[in-house]
Amino acid sequence: MRKYAALVWSVALNSFLEGARSRFFTMFAVFAFTAVYASVLAGVMAVDQEERLLGDFGLLLTELTTLAYLLFNASSSLLREAETKTIYLVFSRPVPRWAYLAGKLAGALLTGAMMLLLMGAIHLSLLYFRGFGLPPFYGWALAGIFLKLCVIVSFAFFVSLFSTSAVSTLVISAIMWTLGHFAAEARFLAEEAAGFKGLLLGLLINLVPNLQLFNARDAAGAAAALPASVLLPAAAWTLACYLAGLWLLSRKEF
Amino acid sequence: MKHAVSFAGVGKTYRRPGLLGARYHTALTDVSFELPAGEVTGLLGLNGAGKTTIMKLITGLLFPDAGKIRVFGHSPSDEAAKARVGFLPELPYFPPQLKPADALAYYGRLSGLSGAALAAAVEDAMRKTGLEPHAGKRVSEFSKGMLQRLGLAQALLHSPDLLVLDEPVSGLDPLAIHDIRSLLAALNSEGRAIFLSSHSISEVEKLCSRVLIMVRGTLARTVKRQEWEASPAGLEGIFVEAVR
Repeated sequence: MRKYAALVWSVALNSFLEGARSRFFTMFAVFAFTAVYASVLAGVMAVDQEERLLGDFGLLLTELTTLAYLLFNASSSLLREAETKTIYLVFSRPVPRWAYLAGKLAGALLTGAMMLLLMGAIHLSLLYFRGFGLPPFYGWALAGIFLKLCVIVSFAFFVSLFSTSAVSTLVISAIMWTLGHFAAEARFLAEEAAGFKGLLLGLLINLVPNLQLFNARDAAGAAAALPASVLLPAAAWTLACYLAGLWLLSRKEF
Repeated sequence: MKHAVSFAGVGKTYRRPGLLGARYHTALTDVSFELPAGEVTGLLGLNGAGKTTIMKLITGLLFPDAGKIRVFGHSPSDEAAKARVGFLPELPYFPPQLKPADALAYYGRLSGLSGAALAAAVEDAMRKTGLEPHAGKRVSEFSKGMLQRLGLAQALLHSPDLLVLDEPVSGLDPLAIHDIRSLLAALNSEGRAIFLSSHSISEVEKLCSRVLIMVRGTLARTVKRQEWEASPAGLEGIFVEAVR
């Protein structure tokens, strides 16, 4: 077991370092820094709601920037390794495909965690310079974003294994991310719809992860800890996408 | 004699999905041969003859549609088989910002090496392939010949019993070809089996004791060194006769 854990860690670390060394990573970091600081302008316009607006805006930018980078990374990672034949050097070795996929996913999530911490620090520094303290929900909000990333990044890896291009993976994953934020509304519509239409809609809805569950600020008003119960759906969705991806990868030829 | 690899009636057809249904291309038909352990065997054929397909089947990157493949008695997908095989694909890629030892350390870890054993394996592979003087350079500064040496070094890390080399001297200058040839001869003298494909008949002639000639996905001929040495036209004449 230690041998396989070492393999997963090697792939994860390599994937993380490649991600962090990428030019796109630097671009995203500069963009995030600029965007978070530019939110000062919006905060000034909010007058007495400046603290709340800066908090919300910064978290939104943190989530969107990290999501965009990780989706870009997950969509292109396996495709790039196949195109450059790097994957030949991996799969001609005694590396089980499950360990490789787990390592790639872990590496992407490690990059995501680092981005969240970095951008969180930038965001908090802005709040500090504007004279505001640490928002009470902050850690939970970042944890919720990370859980969403676990689900959507594993979904992107799964899609990248049958998709023909990185762009289509990116688009499908972004659509899934958007749908996931309207799961409650879609469920309501399915309940309202009658007959076969309702049944079909009900079935389809079960294929979309409910990402609203991981919004810490939605959980109970303005400031709330995420309930431990949200870990289960996050783990279930991530595992389901990983297993579906593994099923495809184990049949894939290079 | 023990066999490093055996193919029995192996067939492989590629399926290419399209809008109006899938298209099929048969790459190998009923291919049977054995690669003796400790020998250097060459694989010759025109483009599209199935050389790379055979190499990918041996390394478990492709799965056969028909027949049976054994690598040291195991299925090519088994970890036990992969642990004994080193593979050099044509034009291997390494991240340009890395130094050779860093790239090798990653592949060494994937081969199950760690700690002092990993450091020793990386050092040994760099010494054998003549990369030691270039240890301080980044991959982006490497010439094609040096990249090929690095590719060979990653294949040697775990001391494999069989080296599968896809076009190991393709695009190299004469000096680099000479160095790679000397290296392969030295590796063979250590008892490793080598299976290499090439478009260069003269290279195969110099290195190999046996040659397989592929023609449109079938094994047209297996030629031993004694045969081509006895033939007035040499291996080139036998090859041209087989592919025409």
